[in-house]
Amino acid sequence: MEISTMLKTLQDPMGIPFYPIVFQVLMVLTFALHIMFVNFTIGTTFLSLYGYLKGGEFWGRLSKSMVKATTANISMAMLLGVAPLLFVQVVYDPFWYASNALSGAWVIGFIFIMMAAYGLTYVFYLKKDSQRGKGFALTGITALGLFLLAGLIMHALNYQALQPDKWLGWYMKGNAVNTSGTSLQAFQLPRFLHFIIPSFAMTGIFLMLYAWYFQKREDMDQGYLDRVGVIGAKMAFLFTALQAVIGFWWLLSLPGEFNFISNPIFMSGAGLGLVLLALLYKAQNAPLKYAVPAVTGAFLTILGMSYAREALRMKYAGRFGYSIFDYKLNIDWGSTVLFLGTFVMGLIIIAYLLSIAYKSGRTAGLYDATPLMHKWGRASIVLLLMWIVIVAGLGIIISVRNYL
Amino acid sequence: MYPIWEVPNLTAGIILAVIATFHILPSHLSTSAMWFNVYIETKAYKEDKPELLEFIRKYSLLLLVFAYVTGSLSGIGIWYAATVANPRGISGLIHNYVWGWATEWVFFIIEVTGILMVVIVGILAFMLSPGKWIETGNFFDGFFNKTYWSQLLVRTTLMFAIAAVYAIAAAARLKNEEVRKFIIKTASKWGLAGLLLGGTAFFWYLKTIPAAGQELIQTFAPQGLKTGIIASFVLLLFYFIYANLKPLTIRLVTAVLAIAVLFAGIWSTERMREIIRKPYVISQYMYSNQIIGNDIASKNVTSETNLINQKGILAVSPFVPEPLRVVNDANMIEAGKLIARIECLSCHTLDKSGLRPMPQMVERRGFTDAEEMKVFLEGLDGYAYMPPFMGKKKKKNALANYLVSLNR
Ligand code: HEC
Ligand code: HEM
Repeated sequence: MEISTMLKTLQDPMGIPFYPIVFQVLMVLTFALHIMFVNFTIGTTFLSLYGYLKGGEFWGRLSKSMVKATTANISMAMLLGVAPLLFVQVVYDPFWYASNALSGAWVIGFIFIMMAAYGLTYVFYLKKDSQRGKGFALTGITALGLFLLAGLIMHALNYQALQPDKWLGWYMKGNAVNTSGTSLQAFQLPRFLHFIIPSFAMTGIFLMLYAWYFQKREDMDQGYLDRVGVIGAKMAFLFTALQAVIGFWWLLSLPGEFNFISNPIFMSGAGLGLVLLALLYKAQNAPLKYAVPAVTGAFLTILGMSYAREALRMKYAGRFGYSIFDYKLNIDWGSTVLFLGTFVMGLIIIAYLLSIAYKSGRTAGLYDATPLMHKWGRASIVLLLMWIVIVAGLGIIISVRNYL
Repeated sequence: MYPIWEVPNLTAGIILAVIATFHILPSHLSTSAMWFNVYIETKAYKEDKPELLEFIRKYSLLLLVFAYVTGSLSGIGIWYAATVANPRGISGLIHNYVWGWATEWVFFIIEVTGILMVVIVGILAFMLSPGKWIETGNFFDGFFNKTYWSQLLVRTTLMFAIAAVYAIAAAARLKNEEVRKFIIKTASKWGLAGLLLGGTAFFWYLKTIPAAGQELIQTFAPQGLKTGIIASFVLLLFYFIYANLKPLTIRLVTAVLAIAVLFAGIWSTERMREIIRKPYVISQYMYSNQIIGNDIASKNVTSETNLINQKGILAVSPFVPEPLRVVNDANMIEAGKLIARIECLSCHTLDKSGLRPMPQMVERRGFTDAEEMKVFLEGLDGYAYMPPFMGKKKKKNALANYLVSLNR
């Protein structure tokens, strides 16, 4: 069967309920957030281990804060991974499902690996103080190893998906089929590193941000924070530079026919990366002052790079005549409005929750909300109640109309 | 048709069922336990009983680590398992309900877990009873279907019984006897209320199930599952009553046993839900073996059965080795096995043991002759729970030969 015909046959006949560009934008945006927290997770796990093994007052303290941050970062990475997981299946279903089905055992294994890694992180976090002794670091080391393995599985599944011309070959064993799903078939080192190395750059920026954030708290040791900031800025700069090198390595290993270097989306992503590098260079002298610009620049770079990753996927898919913009449409306004409405409501509420957390974390004692915050909080509750009333009302009307 | 993932002696579907059953415990727990905590906390402040807060701390940690972590990961696990067990099934759901899931995701992010159930039940109920959606293709017609409200009520009431079982387990090891007694007594009341309301709602739910499903329950559902549902219900009922009368005698072992009973009950109801959907994965649209069996005109989707009957299953499926596309004497058994994997594997393992093993099925009917087997295949959809055999004559012949080869 022709590969382009195969991809068309595999597409879901239901079509998609809204224009593909919307799914694409949401997919890229949420992927950028996902990978940023994946980076924080791997980097903070690493730092907490490093600090634990090195010992001493400064590193011991940093290690403690980092492992606490890991537990939060990993849940964020997971929550934010769900959204691209959903959207990629909407517009790239043939690629996603074929690749997953070919490695079924790994797909299921991924879940257990994540559970083990998450569990071990908690053990490391909760028992760290009572269990001094270097051997205990093994829990953390195993957790880090499992996180990296999880990343490797994600990478292999994504990279397999991009090569439909090889699927049937991977599936066949002699004249019969191999249904065991126990192999991962594709791996590209520069691509994998390009997603993992930024962990250390991003965690450097995370440290800068941490120092900047807590400097306003009188109960925090300023000398400690300054040192954290300096280490962060150094990490951020060095690893961003390394990342740029790996980026070019990846670029050179892509199929020549893509001519990806001249792709405008790639160029913007890479350009943002270089600006970030310059910014981080300047930040070496005053890490705390540059913390906010650095994280902003880093997020924009990640977003640019995530769109470049999508542009690359379009190239791979385009080889076989597949474009998400040809997807059959079955526009469903009702559910689209439901989501967009909920999404806007969610943004209002999340902004409220974030600003409360931001403000209360910066105050040493109890935090007193301003009248504006009170109003915002009440508005959030009203919005939620309205949501419930509208959806329940809709449900009742539809049920009565259809079944009574 | 995507590549097939086969789990020897088990089937991928069973992996999915185990993860899904497991997921129900922590996910329902994280919602209902919140209410329980709020209740105990208010009591602690109102009646000035700080020792109650000790319990909350313990229970909350259990909740955090157990319910939150395993709950969200096993939730993703269901999705991953569905992806490899039945990719076209999950794809069909996603292409209709992507905005529903995305809405659910927003509530996840803002941590309003109470709403999650309201959304996901719509999609689950849709698989069982798509109702007017079959004609209109409309999101909300499928969502607010005949079993939506009854399932929502069953799940929201029973989740308090789940929270109670856990609360008792968490309290069983408290040192302070006063607190232990109070928590176990309170929890057992919550549990009883949840169980009784849930049990009542369950009868309503049974009534709302479509006629075909009702018939399957009566004629076909394994007695073991029915017994599992009733027995776990009765056992938990006695457990809560006993815990209420003699709270201090409950040990951790007893409490853990109660969790096992709960698990068995959930397992039975979930398997039952799947059985009454047979032969479909999405009722009246897609068969369990991922073949689209009916037109959905409003979405411009046509049934695939005609195409497969005209061209043959091995000709239209993408993931078929070229040498097997055309059946001949030499590749007959191999081709037959691939057809069985495509059309039958979702409900029968091809191994000697596991889920309704095909060798046992063939042996049970004593088929040894390919001609006889072919006649059986022609009448396959005479069984209410099986889809028809789809494919051309040659393919039927190959499948029949493969099947009788299992009975040697
Ligand atoms: C939707 C699920 C499903 C699919 C798909 C399916 N079956 Fe079945 N089949 C069942 C169930 C359920 C039973 C009853 C098992 C029992 O009674 O223990 C059954 C029973 C059987 C039996 C024994 C019948 C009897 O009277 O004892 C045979 C033979 C059989 N199936 C063959 C097949 C073949 C061949 C295919 C593929 C073409 C197939 N089945 C596809 C669900 C399915
Ligand atoms: C710590 C654990 C994790 C790590 C290290 C990790 C890492 C990665 C990496 C490196 C990629 C890019 C792969 C590539 O394109 O080559 C990726 C993509 C992806 N991850 Fe994760 N991930 C983790 C957890 C998760 C979880 C729990 C989910 C599901 C909820 C998830 C969902 C996704 C999805 C859907 C994509 C692909 C998005 C797309 O194709 O646009 N990840 N992840």
